[in-house]
Amino acid sequence: MQDVTFTVADGEFMVLLGPSGCGKSTVLRMIAGLEPITSGTVSIDGQVVNQVPAKSRDMAMVFQSYALYPHMTVYDNLAFGLHRRDIEKAEVARRVHAAAGKLELTGLLQRKPHALSGGQRQRVAVGRAIVRDPKVFLFDEPLSNLDAALRVSTRNELIKQQQEIGTTSIYVTHDQVEAMTMGDRICIMNQGRVVQIGRPLDVYKNPADTFVSRFLGNPPMNLLHGRIGKRGDRSVAHLASGDLGLPMRTASALGRHDAGEVIVGIRPEDVYEFVPPGDPTRFEYLPVRVEAVEPLGAETLLMVSLDGSDAEMIARIGRDTALRRGDRLPLALDTAAIHLFDPATTRAIA
Amino acid sequence: MHMAVRLVIERVRRVPLALFAAFYTVVTGGPLVWVAMMSLRTTADIFRDPYGFPSPAHWEKFADAWTKSNYGTYFWNSTIVVVVAVALVTAVGAMAAHCLARYAFRGSRIVRFVILTGLILPPQLVILAMFQILLDVNLYNTLTGLILVYVATHIAMTVYILEGFFAQIPQDLFDAARMDGYSDFEIFWRVTMPIGAPAIFTTVTLNFIVLWNEFLFAVVLLTDDDKRTLPLGLMHFTGSHQLDVGMAATGLMIAMLPIIVIYAFFSETMIKGMTAGAVR
Repeated sequence: MQDVTFTVADGEFMVLLGPSGCGKSTVLRMIAGLEPITSGTVSIDGQVVNQVPAKSRDMAMVFQSYALYPHMTVYDNLAFGLHRRDIEKAEVARRVHAAAGKLELTGLLQRKPHALSGGQRQRVAVGRAIVRDPKVFLFDEPLSNLDAALRVSTRNELIKQQQEIGTTSIYVTHDQVEAMTMGDRICIMNQGRVVQIGRPLDVYKNPADTFVSRFLGNPPMNLLHGRIGKRGDRSVAHLASGDLGLPMRTASALGRHDAGEVIVGIRPEDVYEFVPPGDPTRFEYLPVRVEAVEPLGAETLLMVSLDGSDAEMIARIGRDTALRRGDRLPLALDTAAIHLFDPATTRAIA
Repeated sequence: MHMAVRLVIERVRRVPLALFAAFYTVVTGGPLVWVAMMSLRTTADIFRDPYGFPSPAHWEKFADAWTKSNYGTYFWNSTIVVVVAVALVTAVGAMAAHCLARYAFRGSRIVRFVILTGLILPPQLVILAMFQILLDVNLYNTLTGLILVYVATHIAMTVYILEGFFAQIPQDLFDAARMDGYSDFEIFWRVTMPIGAPAIFTTVTLNFIVLWNEFLFAVVLLTDDDKRTLPLGLMHFTGSHQLDVGMAATGLMIAMLPIIVIYAFFSETMIKGMTAGAVR
């Protein structure tokens, strides 16, 4: 863990996103008080809580494994955290039933966890956090044990719950779709460091480095190695199969990278078979050879190689394409959507 | 048709298994039945026909053993010693196992090693030391002394079994309880103990059976007749010049009964505790 700094506003839904092993769960456990902190501070409401034990931080956590007590009924699982807090029995019952009603668990209160389905267990785990009415919700990959269909519906349910309750939440996941759809902001981590923090679409549109550019988006952003040059008074990137004119905003930011190596990034959806209506000067053309066509139904993915090289690129195009493997054609790239990265640092240039 | 054939094949395949089970039952259960029959016959009867049936059955022998041979006292002593020792060894062992399974503290490996050394030291090796220590602390020839020795000698196996089980309880459950506001001891009491119940039953049953039958420490560490436990009481019937086989069998049956009851009661949980392990 190095140099991990972020602030979560009151009522905000912050997502910690990163590949497995990047340290996001450890950060969450440090916030929860389950993991010791060797250096740095964790503060809640301006109070440093490094030395405050987990039970006194007023946070509730939803675990990936749900962590339901197997020897207790659903009711007791929900009430377990309340018994500790000197809350009257009637109030405990009221809160448990309220949460159970909200999460459609009312009929299951007398069951033990082993008699529940995966989705029901997940809801009990969420319910256990809700009844506590804590200052902060912590979620540690709460959806990753659900099957795909259930994950989508539960995700929407969670978003709804959080918006209704409005409690500050920190949510750890390695699933970029969860991060994009759930987070007010996302904090992307890699190898124990924070790489970028921002609103989901901002991060998607302006990735801070090549890691983020490829981690967000499916298929990931295309990264092409090239060299900066000039065509008349305009900056261009010399790529394997031709020159790519760069927009003015990037050209002005190039600075010291002038005439240097560069990585050109473009998302698959910004590569077109046919130039869309609008300003045609925004588009630059690259000659490519079609290597594979993958019709997905709603769209078609095109794997192409840049003519005369082994550099590859993916384009997301309309479903009704007639292109086939081996075809050669120029693809249109939206230069307004081009990203440049420094190959030495992998950081974004502009 | 197919079903019927498959059923027959299935039954035929079970024959060797059934034969083996029957053989095993005779070998292990036979002596038990024999002793049970002898316990209802007089010694003279037995010498005349060792394998005969108890007719007429001399039920009064049980009352005789209980009253005339001081068996009531032995039984009571055994009960006190074993119940207290098992309770202590379970409580201490469970707490030790919980700590060893849950906390990575400095020296935990050494603590575990020292405790588990108890598994490999034979009782004959430590008995002289135990004798001397009990003399020094004035607990020689007391039930308290014997209880403490029993706890010391059985803590190793208890910790060994319980730690293996407790270590498999998912860490998330403990973290969840910590977030829910429970202290370390409360977590032990309200999470580890109930979830580990099958393993607890296993050790309780095992320790009860072993201690109920324990002879070596008892015979060395107790001398007064009114402090003896059941296994020592059985010696009464085997004097130096004669052997009262009939009463010895009756005494054995009395000594065995609690064990049989406990085993009948807990055997299923015990097997579950030894084989299962994973907690879902």
